[in-house]
Order: sequence, then structure tokens, then C-alpha cells
Amino acid sequence: MSDNLNILVVDDEPVVLRSCERILRDEGYKVESAPGGREAIIKMEQRAFDLVITDLKMPEVDGITLIRWIRKARPDTGIVVITGYPSQETVRDAIELGIIDYVPKPFTPSVLTDVIKRAEDWLGSRIPAKEKLEEEFPPSMLAELDRVINKYKNKPGSTIPVLQRAQEIVGYLPPMIQKRIARGLNIPSAEIHSIVSFYSLFTMKPRGDHTVRVCLGTACYVKGVETVLNKIKELLKIDVGGITENGKFSLETVRCLGTCGLAPVMVIDNETHGALNQKKAVDIINRYTSADIKEKTSENHEGEE
Amino acid sequence: MPRLKIEDLQKIKERHWSEYSLREGGYRAKVTVHMGTCGIAAGAGNVMTDLLAEIANAGAEDVIVTTSGCAGLCAREPMATVEIIGHPPVKYCDLNSEKIKEIFKGHIIGRNPAEEYALSEDMPFFKYQVLRVLRNKGMIDPERMEEYIARDGYQAVVKALTELTHEEIIKVVKDSGLRGRGGAGFPTGLKWEFASKVQSDMKYMLCNGDEGDPGAFMDRSVMEADPHAVIEGIIIGAKAIGAHQGYIYVRAEYPLAVKRLQIAMDQCYDAGLLGKNILDSGFDFDLEIYQGAGAFVCGEETALMRSIEGKRGMPRPRPPFPAQKGLWDKPSVLNNVETLAQVPLIILNGADWYRGLGTEKSPGTKVFALTGAINNIGLIEVPMGIPLKTIIQDIGGGMKKGRRFKAVQMGGPSGGCLPENLIDIPVTYEDIVKSGAIMGSGGMVVMDDNNCMVNTAKFFLDFTADESCGKCTPCRVGTKILLDILTDITEGRGKESDLETLEDLSRDIISSSLCGLGQTAPNPVLTTIKYFRDEFHAHIKEKWCVSGVCRDLCTFLIDEELCNGCGACMRACPAKAIIGEKKKPHRIIQDLCVQCRTCYETCRFNSIKILSAKARETKQAEPVSAER
Repeated sequence: MSDNLNILVVDDEPVVLRSCERILRDEGYKVESAPGGREAIIKMEQRAFDLVITDLKMPEVDGITLIRWIRKARPDTGIVVITGYPSQETVRDAIELGIIDYVPKPFTPSVLTDVIKRAEDWLGSRIPAKEKLEEEFPPSMLAELDRVINKYKNKPGSTIPVLQRAQEIVGYLPPMIQKRIARGLNIPSAEIHSIVSFYSLFTMKPRGDHTVRVCLGTACYVKGVETVLNKIKELLKIDVGGITENGKFSLETVRCLGTCGLAPVMVIDNETHGALNQKKAVDIINRYTSADIKEKTSENHEGEE
Repeated sequence: MPRLKIEDLQKIKERHWSEYSLREGGYRAKVTVHMGTCGIAAGAGNVMTDLLAEIANAGAEDVIVTTSGCAGLCAREPMATVEIIGHPPVKYCDLNSEKIKEIFKGHIIGRNPAEEYALSEDMPFFKYQVLRVLRNKGMIDPERMEEYIARDGYQAVVKALTELTHEEIIKVVKDSGLRGRGGAGFPTGLKWEFASKVQSDMKYMLCNGDEGDPGAFMDRSVMEADPHAVIEGIIIGAKAIGAHQGYIYVRAEYPLAVKRLQIAMDQCYDAGLLGKNILDSGFDFDLEIYQGAGAFVCGEETALMRSIEGKRGMPRPRPPFPAQKGLWDKPSVLNNVETLAQVPLIILNGADWYRGLGTEKSPGTKVFALTGAINNIGLIEVPMGIPLKTIIQDIGGGMKKGRRFKAVQMGGPSGGCLPENLIDIPVTYEDIVKSGAIMGSGGMVVMDDNNCMVNTAKFFLDFTADESCGKCTPCRVGTKILLDILTDITEGRGKESDLETLEDLSRDIISSSLCGLGQTAPNPVLTTIKYFRDEFHAHIKEKWCVSGVCRDLCTFLIDEELCNGCGACMRACPAKAIIGEKKKPHRIIQDLCVQCRTCYETCRFNSIKILSAKARETKQAEPVSAER
């Protein structure tokens, strides 16, 4: 089976690249390498890989940008991260983006092959379905979730913070995740569900790659946000609470973002866009389509040069 | 920062003043880029980057650049303040790349202020304001504790912890007449006194930053621009009631506020202003941030406490009041962000100073978030008792060009809409309640003739019906029925008996709901019926929405006498429903028209008229002018 797996190793340190290549080839994998995120993207545009092993800290196009690109352009590719600092924020970002696992640096050949074997098993057993079962969440995601649960376990009143973190990690709160949290915190899962369904921040449905949140506050209402919202619905062909067919966008409304000075306002992911009208809203959303992500990577690249 | 002693605060203050008086720091100019949520969204980050690049290019080492929270005039962001040694500071607004480059060359290098981009300090927007809560707004970098200390920061904590007993603190606050700024206006000193008298092993001091009212952003701005002031108020309150643990409850929708509060709290822990033995006074106090999860009802005190306990945020009956049994059944005090930011000033300057502004029963100042259809949108602070008119016409700069004032909405979904003949009333808790609205947390949304009051009432009911937690049936079901009736009216199914039903039902909901949400939810309905009854009648009887907002109740027609055939409406119409030859009167094809208002807003000659829905069938081809 190993001989079928195509692996791309990405690292800016030639030593790491060479040793990974050697170790993995010895195990019977087909291995290619790229000295940076940009080169990796170029390679992946030409052909598909089953698994990408990437460093996070790289000049120019870094690991997180590369992972974001892979999630969009090659969503079936598995990702493993090599990192010197497993506790760092970038690793957490990577976990939230859905990597399978990470290899802590420095590593021995057996550590690397173990992680890759686990990733291979996980890739092999994965069912390409929309509704995921718990077993199908990447091990790194569940490990991070358990770490959060353990951290808060003995603190009274920690249910909501745990759910908030869990939603950041997994992206949404499906029944399986709720049950895992209930077990971990030793609370009936009905109670967890009652909290999830009460607060509007929590969602039990998966979100798109980008979440568009349109503010329905009074100032936005007075300035005609409704026509903007209708235009967005028309553009994305979804209703509020829906997710586009390609999984790229989900549309939500929010009661007030408190940025009334710029009304009407919407937030896409974490970026606030104000003084909207129908045309401006359409232009902004169009910027988030996949064609532009490539441009974005190259823009970043130019910026860093 | 190492652990501070009391005398260190004074030293930091002196050192920092000299550092910041440009001359002694060896600087010639200082530029402050204002970075609140609004500023960042408007592009303050880019302005900052461009400015830094210009400075680096020019090698201007004697220019320092710093950031601060919001400068108050939200609609004109991005903004920056330029201070040249020996000259008064100049505020610039509506900045972009080109402008900041021009300002850099012209003003910072060339010493000639670019007056065309500058704001005048005597513009009425600033003239009528008195900044107390917002004293540091746009002046300090919220992420640098030294700058807060340099402006008398934490002096009140020193006084409260070392010189005053808890009775004395309570007395000053009581004498000042400070009332809770969250909406109801309960005297803060009294609340503290109740909690201080209860014996308990554990008490909690809580800060309410769950600013849920749509159209209000005062607390967000204060938390973003001056987080240390809030923390200082909390520490003083904790000492007054004898609490050793506190929480700041912030909406999850305010990520920047959470971040800046967390930075400020970390600094306080490092400096020994939070934690064990604060400033060696023997007083211990721990503080945590608790992020909300998007439920409006959690702004209510008992619901907020349930939420911190990790449960569904539902209110419970009072008594027992939280001062006796609050968070985890221990005595707790919950104060609003703005209330707490006032406290340090009262402790430092005394009750008489505080009473120097405002009225007998509503002393001090109040912060308002002024938004809607006026020219100067922004965050303002005014003395209580100022006429509403001054706020709207002078500070707000009046209505947008060509628009007529229709109503001002105060107090969010719990408040009401006040019409033109009431805008002479002074802004105090009592006068506003008398009018049927409430002070609320301070959202003030101005509406013009483009807003339909029936639809506005529906907008608020849609909000409260959705946010009702569901515990009390009158609120859960009642708000839904109110909403249904209002929807019927706006869609042309209104009956004459509806108004009476709305009023009766509203009174029932008010009298039989447990918490503030239900008790105030019908206010928008009652005030709009009271002051804009004509509009309701037009909707119900004539099926006519005068403002052209309720799509089913209006017909757009072009007045052929006024239309000069410029074609602007034809190009703007998304449904391509307007036809006509150049320079000749145009016409709307009613079958294609989707009543989107675009033509109405585009026409510069006032030639688009809004008629009732009935007109659509009969008046299709007739010229409008003939009909009136």
C-alpha cells in the first residue's frame, strides 16, 4: 500500500528535505520535495499528492498560507506539519485548518514514519462524506480538543469557554463533539446541547470556508442593510444560515457589531467591511473566490520581498 | 513591568510626561493614528503603513508615531492627530494613502497644516462635549499602561486602597449621585452599600460589557480606547463591597475589546495592581474576562450571572437581589462599563465636582452612540440635561442634505422613538422615561423621512421576539404575536382593530414579564403608535407606506412635470422598469417595478413620488400631477 502513496515534502532547510526524502523512500513511499510554499503550490497545480508534509516557518509563502491554499485548491490532500514549537499559535491555526497531525522537531526516523503511517491509515479509512463521524476528525484536532477539556475540567462554569474553543478548533459543534465534551467535563450531554442551542454564537452545522456575517443593527437597518443582504443572498444563492454548494461561503446575520459609524456593515471571517451598498458588497465577496486566493499568495509574496 | 509601589506610579507619571512632552524627548512631531474597530475597518492600518514608509524614506527620526483608540467621529475614519512642537494638535479625517503622504510632506515636514483635510476643534461636534468617561479617548495608546498612568491613572486606586475605608468610598459614590449607565439608572452607591452589608465568605464584582443593544457602541469604544479605566473602576468597586474575585463579561462580537482588556489585565498582574496584596495595601483581587456567546438577554444581571456559571442565560425572579444572592449564590454587584469608568474620577475629584455637571437627579455626563441619518456619526459625551435638540442638530450636525428629521430612537429595543416636537426635552433619566422612551445604555439612532415607523417597530419586535429567552410565556408568545400583527400591517393585511390589540397586548407583556427584556420589549410599539398614529392609519386604511419602505404598500410614479429626462433613474433601476427618451419625461412600468426605492434615491429633481399600493392598478399611465 505504501508504494501507492505520493508524498510532497516542503521545507526551506535542505538538510531536513534530504533526510525526509531518504527515510520515506526507504519505507517505500513516492516522495518529491519543494524548498518553499510557492514551489509546492506550483508542483501541486500540476499534479495531485496524497499527503503533504510541510514546515510552518518558511520565508516568502509560509506553511499556513500553503495549508490554506491546499484546503481550497486540493481539499482531498492530507497535511502533516513539521514544527519546532508544538504549543505555538501557528500550530493551533494549522489544527483549526484541519491538518492530520504534526511531527515535533527534532525528530528521529521512527517518529516520522510513525506519524506518516498514522496519517496514511487515517487517509485510507476516510469516507468522503459531508456529515462527519467523530472518528473522522483528524487525530490532531481531537487531541487539541481533549487538551482544552482537561485544562478547564475542574473549573466551575467553564462549559461556554470550552464550547467556544471547541468551535474554533472543529469549526462547528456536531453531536459527536458535544458528546465528547460532555464526557470530558462530566456533564449530561443534554445540558451541553441546551447551551449550544441557546447561544447564537454556536452552530451545529459546518460552516463554509468563509463566513459572511451581515449586521442587522439599528444603524445598519436605518441605512438600508436589507437590500444589501438580499443582494448577497442572490449572489451566493443561499438563505441566511445556509452554506453555498461549493462549501466556500456561509451566510449569517448578527444583531449588532457595534461599528454603527460605518453602517451598513458586514464581517467576513475577521475582517470588517463598512459603508456597504449592493455593488460594494458583491465586489468584496467576489474578492474571496478561489482565483483571488492565488493572487493573494503572490501579493503576500511581493510584500515580503 | 516590575511590581509597582505607590511612589513608582508618581515616577512613571513624571517620566512619561517628559517623554511625551516632545521637546524633552528630543522629538519634533508626533502622529497618533486612531485605531478602534471602526478606524481599522475604514483602513487605518494602511494609513499607518504608508505613514511609516514615508517617515523611513525621509529619514525623519524626530517624528514619533503612536496609536490610540477611537477618536470619536466614527463616520470620518480613518483619522490621525498631528502634533508639531509649539503648535496646537491638528486632527485629520477621511484619510487615505495620498492624503497621509500629502500631510506628511506639507504639515510634518513643511509645517503647513493641510487645512482642507483637517477638522476644526471648534466645530460644534466637539464644542458641546465634556469628556470625562472618554477623557483618554484618542489620547493614549490603550496597550501601554504607562500612558494611562501618565494621565492620573491608578491614582484613584491608591487613594481608595490606602486612604479610604470601604464606607468612605461608598459615601463618595452615593453623594455623587452616580446612576448606573446600563439603562435603568439605579444609584451605584446604593447598590454597593447593599452588597457591602451582606456577610459572606465570597463576593463578586462584575462588569457588564455585554452591550447588546443594536445601534449602541459606547462600551466597545471605552473598552477599546481606555481599558485601564474600566479595570481601575472595578478594583475600587471590589474594595467597596469587599470582593476578591471579579469578572468582565464581554460580547464575543467585540474581539478587539477582549484583546485590549486582556493586555491591560496582564499588565496589571505584572505591576501588582491585580492579584495578591495590591500596591502593598493588603487587598487581594483577581479579575477574569468572560466572553459571551451571543444572547441579548445576557445583558440582564441575573441572566448574565447564570451565563458565567456556564448555563443557559435565563433571568430569575428578584428578590433575592444579586447583592444578596448573585453569582453562585454569593453577593454580587454588576456595573456597566461606562459606570465603572466614571468611578476613578469621582474618587479623585469628589462628589461635589461630579455634581458640577448635569442635573440634581441625573448628575454627571452620559456617553451616547450617535448614529443614523445625521452628518456627524460618532461617540459623544455630554452633560446630563442638555437638550436633545443640541445633540442632534449641533453635535450631530443636522440631517443629511435634503432630508427631513422624523424621529430619534433612544434605548434600543427597550426604548422608543421620539418625534420632532419632543426634541426640546432635556436628556435626563426622568424626562426621557416620561416621553415613553428610556435612556438605555445610550444608543441614539436618528431617522429621516426615508424610514417607515411601522417598519421600525417591526424591526425591533423581530429582534426581541428572536432574543426572548423563552422563560416567561407573555414575552415569548406575546412578542411573536406583536411581530405577526406588525408584519400583517406592513404587508397590507392590517385591520382597524389591530392598533387596539397591539396596545392591550403590549401592556400585558410589560406587566407580566420577569426581566427587563420583556418589560420593555413593547416600548418601540407603544411609542410609535403614540407619536406616529397617522402612519399606522395610512398603512391600515389606505394601504400606503408614505416612506416607500413597505414594498407591498407603495407605488413609485414619475411626476412628468418635474422629470427632465436626465436618465439617471433609468440607468440605476436594477429591474430595468424605467423607460423614456432622453430629455423627455420617463415612465415606470409597474409590472416590472420591484419597489426597491433605487430610483427614488437616485433622482435629484424630486420627481419620483410614492403613492399607495392601490394607485398601481389605476394610475399606471396617468401623469401624477393631474391626480393631486
